[in-house]
Amino acid sequence: MAEPFLRMVQISKRYPGVQALDNVNLDAYPGEALALLGANGAGKSTLMNVLGGVVRPDTGQILIGGAPQEIHSPLAAAQHGIAFVHQEMLMLPTLTVAENLFITSFPTRHGFIDRADMLRRSSQVLARLGCHFTPDTRVQQLSTGDRQMIEIGRALLSDPSIIIFDEPTSSLTSRERDRLFGVIRNLKQDGVTIIYISHFLDEPFTICERVTVLRGGTTVGDGAIGELNHDDIVRMMIGSAEVSELAERRETVTGEPVLQVEGLRRTGVLQDITFTLHRGEILGLWGLLGSGRSEVARSLVGLDPIDGGQIQLAVDGVMRPVIPREAQQWIGMITEDRRNEGLLLPMSVRENMSLANLLQLRNRWRLVDGHRETALAQQFVERLHIKVSSILQPVRTLSGGNQQKVVVGRWLERNPPIYIMDEPTRGLDVGAKAEIRDIVYELAANGAAILVIASEIEEMMAFADRFLVMNRGAIVREFGKDVSKDALMAAAAGATGAAMGKAVSA
Amino acid sequence: MSVLKSNIDQSVRRQSRLRGDDFLRYLPIIVFVVVLGLLAIFVPNFFTPRNIVNILMQASALGLMAIGLTAVLIGGGIDLSIPSVMAMSAVFGAMIMRDGAHPLVGVLVMLGTAMVAGCINGYAVAYLKMIPFVVTLAMMTIATGTSIWVTNSISVAGIPEAFTNTILTRLWIVPVPVFFVAAVTLVVAFWLKRSVFGRWLYAVGTNERTARVSGIPTARVLFGTYVFSSFFAGMAAILLTARLNSAAATMGNDGVVLDVVSSAVVGGVSIYGGVGSPLGAVLGAIIITMISNSMNMMQVSFFTSLIVKGVVIIAFVALDSLRRR
Repeated sequence: MAEPFLRMVQISKRYPGVQALDNVNLDAYPGEALALLGANGAGKSTLMNVLGGVVRPDTGQILIGGAPQEIHSPLAAAQHGIAFVHQEMLMLPTLTVAENLFITSFPTRHGFIDRADMLRRSSQVLARLGCHFTPDTRVQQLSTGDRQMIEIGRALLSDPSIIIFDEPTSSLTSRERDRLFGVIRNLKQDGVTIIYISHFLDEPFTICERVTVLRGGTTVGDGAIGELNHDDIVRMMIGSAEVSELAERRETVTGEPVLQVEGLRRTGVLQDITFTLHRGEILGLWGLLGSGRSEVARSLVGLDPIDGGQIQLAVDGVMRPVIPREAQQWIGMITEDRRNEGLLLPMSVRENMSLANLLQLRNRWRLVDGHRETALAQQFVERLHIKVSSILQPVRTLSGGNQQKVVVGRWLERNPPIYIMDEPTRGLDVGAKAEIRDIVYELAANGAAILVIASEIEEMMAFADRFLVMNRGAIVREFGKDVSKDALMAAAAGATGAAMGKAVSA
Repeated sequence: MSVLKSNIDQSVRRQSRLRGDDFLRYLPIIVFVVVLGLLAIFVPNFFTPRNIVNILMQASALGLMAIGLTAVLIGGGIDLSIPSVMAMSAVFGAMIMRDGAHPLVGVLVMLGTAMVAGCINGYAVAYLKMIPFVVTLAMMTIATGTSIWVTNSISVAGIPEAFTNTILTRLWIVPVPVFFVAAVTLVVAFWLKRSVFGRWLYAVGTNERTARVSGIPTARVLFGTYVFSSFFAGMAAILLTARLNSAAATMGNDGVVLDVVSSAVVGGVSIYGGVGSPLGAVLGAIIITMISNSMNMMQVSFFTSLIVKGVVIIAFVALDSLRRR
């Protein structure tokens, strides 16, 4: 066995309140692909940022080709032959392929861009990637898969010895994915060291030789991939913590349907989304980042466009079809982007809480009734235990948990029959999370229908009575309350392994 | 310890930010007092009743347009077409009155013409999602072109006395429009703070996405602001036509565009949206009028006064963007 080309030894990084990395070790071998796996927040990104010179570790050492190296900046990382292929493609669509490839490092001659040299080198890179378009094609004319190739091409320009692929397949079709795997195989033959990050658990088995699994900032497993199976990896990723201790909830009483979605679709994003939401139910929409879970939520209230499908709502006890913009009247929407879509940061707690409810607060002169507005804000600040010095305090000055409660409070004031909550507890500490959960339970107990999205699996399992699992824009499975973590994970990753067999279907 | 320290840091920062906010809120008043003081020292005959009434009268039409612009600016847009639409409305109203129509018809034509332009602006910006700057700049040239075309660049005279006399009625020595604009300013300020539309408008201007997620009909609100600003352009047209006893395309020239925008920004209306009040904008209009008037009295050339006002705009926009840090 050859020596590891890249070794990261005992890397630790502490942020205020969080040990992001705790003595993490990672070995990668030349001509091989190492799968770096872990749930959200396991420390994959931090570790790769350390390697990329973006984050300085507190302790630990990086060895490249056996020699210890200091990587202080992204530039230093590039000089050591480390290149990244990012998940989101940073392209300038109106420029040509060659221009996109060389955007940060145009070859020059006498102070002008050397087009001939640029085109020649672009052609070489494209040939190496097996691309059939020419370097002067405009990027906007290319498919997502071809754009991904350009992203890789950009990495190849510096002739790197280590390439990190960060979720490269999340927006690719299966054919494009096969092509990408072909390119990775060629790179391996050229002796390049590959680190491959993916949420799709079937992919490492196809393309990687080794695997390193992180959980909670520590290395919990590594080895040759042939010695592990799908279940082993899922178990390493989620640990052995029992779910039951997290989920403590009243008996659920599921009532009549209040929201029926049929065949909702949007080309390239959502396909045939069909489900029913009932009174008193908390329905979990589970899926990985990019699976389309947020897009479903946003489409239902007209924040994202749809190409087809029907939404029916129970209005005064009768189901009737509505267009998404109308649906907003009956749906309390909490999006995942609290700062940019949830709050009016410079405005007061009171103004933020009455925002969705102003029409209902009108007095007989059709003006906003200031007394009622204040009283309601006061009432919900107390009920939700929002810590403020006064309801006139700007929400900008509140902590994340209190800000989130303001957003929740806004809808409680309005009291809609249906709630959609996208990541309602993201970025909150344990106490605030529990408080938000309690509020959601109470809402459901009082008859509200709630669709919830969370990216942490424990959070999701604590919330929901029923789960819809999404993968690549479609609902692929439905599970009941007693589903296992493994089954949810496996279904979301699109696996067909043994874990699926154990799943308890609803 | 460090937690405590950061808390203290935060509260100190918060206080200083508040102090900065307060300073900026009262800045229009401070500027007003300073300009008044300078004028008292350097411009003889400035504080004659005649000149004060003159300034207030001039500031009235400007103030109406500044109120209109304020609503658009709060919503995060801009309307450069207000003065030219005002001129076009004035020309149409004046022509129809000259040709024998009842003054009331003239008034309605002025308001109606302006609001048609406002609906076009609003539709383009709110529903077609076009850039406000471009839309209203185009509307400005269209309105100006139309006015010049229908008048052959000659000002429209022969306005019925019934029209001018009614509007220019004086209470003691102060013309009615001054009281009218004062009242309108108060009403609109109150309405923006307390009506649902007003509250929605501030929300949309502060963060359109949050407003949308909260179920606010953002397009309708934005459409409304452009109709509102044009309605105020129409009212300014009535007032100016009466005061000048004629109407012409030049009533809404570039200098007036500059004055309207300066009034709003000097009055503390943020060009980034979400912040501002008609009270400030009208105070701004008075300040700008005083500056023009005094430079006029000191026989500074028109072009020099343009430079001064341009500098004033940049200075206040700079303050505005400092506040946003």
